[in-house]
Amino acid sequence: MDEDKRIVIENLTTRYPGTEQPQLRQINAEVHTGQVVGIIGNSHSGKSTLCRVLAGVIPKIVSAEIEGDWHMFGQRVSDNWPVYNAMNGVVLQNPADQLSGLADTVADEIAFDLINQGMAEGLIQKRVEEVATQMGLIEQLNLRPESLSGGQIQRLAIATAIAANPAVLIMDDPTSEMDSLGRRQFFQWLAQVKETTVFIVTSEIDDLCEVADVVWVLHEGQMVAQGRPGEVFNHLAADWQIPAPTIQQLAQKMDWHLADGRYPVNDAELKEDRYVHN
Amino acid sequence: MSTIELNHLTFTYPERSFSLDVEYKHFADPMVAIVGQNGAGKSTLFKLLTGLLTPQTGVIKIDGENFNDLKPVEKLLKVGITFQNPDDQLFNPTVQREVEWNVAQVMDDHDTITRRALAALKRVGLNDKTAENPYDLSLSERKLLSVATVLAVDPAIYLFDEPMMSLDWESRRKLTAIFHQLADSGHQVVTITHDMDWVAAEFESVYVMEHGKFGFAGSPRELFSDHELVQRVGLLPPRIMDIAESLGDSQTYLSVNDYWQKNRDV
Repeated sequence: MDEDKRIVIENLTTRYPGTEQPQLRQINAEVHTGQVVGIIGNSHSGKSTLCRVLAGVIPKIVSAEIEGDWHMFGQRVSDNWPVYNAMNGVVLQNPADQLSGLADTVADEIAFDLINQGMAEGLIQKRVEEVATQMGLIEQLNLRPESLSGGQIQRLAIATAIAANPAVLIMDDPTSEMDSLGRRQFFQWLAQVKETTVFIVTSEIDDLCEVADVVWVLHEGQMVAQGRPGEVFNHLAADWQIPAPTIQQLAQKMDWHLADGRYPVNDAELKEDRYVHN
Repeated sequence: MSTIELNHLTFTYPERSFSLDVEYKHFADPMVAIVGQNGAGKSTLFKLLTGLLTPQTGVIKIDGENFNDLKPVEKLLKVGITFQNPDDQLFNPTVQREVEWNVAQVMDDHDTITRRALAALKRVGLNDKTAENPYDLSLSERKLLSVATVLAVDPAIYLFDEPMMSLDWESRRKLTAIFHQLADSGHQVVTITHDMDWVAAEFESVYVMEHGKFGFAGSPRELFSDHELVQRVGLLPPRIMDIAESLGDSQTYLSVNDYWQKNRDV
C-alpha cells in the first residue's frame, strides 16, 4: 500500500532517562487514514507514553531513549518536525497545562494557532465559532479560559486542537473531567468525524465501542491485543483487568450470541443479535 | 454512626448570582450520593461541610454538635474530604510522608502516625510505592493516595468529590470496595458524582441538587423511574437503561444483573 496513507509503528521501544524498565516494548501497528483508534489499558500500561510519541512530544519536548521507528503518512519527527507537528492536533492529560496562558478569552485561545498560521481575520472568527459550536463552548467565547470548569477546559483543549483541521487528532483521556452529558456529546461529535485519523485513550469502554474502528490494548508497555472492538473485547485476558462493555456483559448474562458465536459489543451488533434470534 | 444534618443553611458568593439554600436536610444512610449538574451547588456544599467556607446563616450539625464550633482537630476527626483533583491536596516529597503529614494534624505519636500511614497505603494498594514522589505516580494512583491520606486519619464521615473520575478500572473496583467497607464499619460516606452507573449499582440513597437547593431524595430506582425529573436535572440514566431502551424496553434497570433477574425467564 502507498506509504502516504498509513501511520506505521515498527518495533517501537521507549525508555525515559533514569528508569529501569521501558515504558513501551516492541510496539507494532498500522493505521489507515480516517480510522478511529481506541487505546486502552490500566495505569502504567504505556498509553500516555504512546500518545506522547505519536504527538512527537517524545522526543521533541520530553527526552527518552527510542528504538524502532514510526511515521505518519511517510513523515517522521526527525525528518521534518514542522511538517509532522502541523499534521497533529493534540489533547494531553491535564489540559489546563496545555492552555497558552496568553489568551484573555476562550475565543483568543482557540484562535491562537490560526493566527500563528497567518489565517485571514474573517476566516479565523468563522472557524473559531464553528469549533466552539462543535464543542459546546459558543456561550463561553468571551470568558477567561481560567474561569472554565474542568470539563469545559477539556472541551476548549479539543476545540484548540481541531481548529486548524489537523490530519491526525491525538487525545489522552479527553473526557476525564466532563460530566455525563458532556461526555455523551463529545462521543456523538467523535462519531461523525470523518477523514481525520483519531487516536483516543479512554476508559469509557461503552462509548469507545460505538465509535472505534480499532482498539489497541496496552498492558505493561506491550501491545497485547489489537483489532475491531468486537474481536478485542470478546478475547479479554483476565490479567489485563479491563472490563467488557455493558452490552457484552448483558449479552453474556442473557446468552445472546451473534451468528459467529461472539457476543455483541455495541448497539449495532446488539440489534444484529436480536435480529438473528427473533 | 455519625451523620450530617443541615438546618436553614444559606451561602452566597460575592459577585456571583449563585446561592445555596438548604432548609433542612439530614443524611441518614451510610452511603449517600449527591448528584446534579455542574453549578448545582454540590461543591459549595462540600466546602461548607469541611469548613473551607462558612455559611452566612444556618448550622451544620454532626451528632447534634454545631460543626463550626468544633476545634480544628475535632473537625478533622469528624469530616475528611478527598478532592476531585488529587493535585489540589498533594505536596509532600514522598508518598509515605504525604499520608503521615495528614495524620500528624490529629495526633503526635510518631510510631502511630507511621503505622497508620502504612496501613492506609496498604489498603489502597500503594504499599510498594511509599518512597516514591507523588508526582511520579499515575493520576489514578495519585487519586488513591489522596484517599489514603483521609483513611489514615479515619474521620467519622468521609466526603468524596467525584472519586471515580480519572480512575482506571482496577482502582474503581478497589475504591468501591473501600466505600462498602467504610459504610459497613460504621462510617458515613457522602459522595458527589456524575457516574450514574455507579450510583445505580452501589448506592441506596441519592440526593439531587438543582440551582443551590435539594430536590429529589430517595433510592436510585425511584430516581431513574422518573424520566421527566432525570432529564430536567440534566442526568443520564444508567447505561443499562439506554441499552434496554434501544431494545424497546423502557423499564427501570439499575445494572446488568438487575436486567437479568427481571428478564431471564422471558
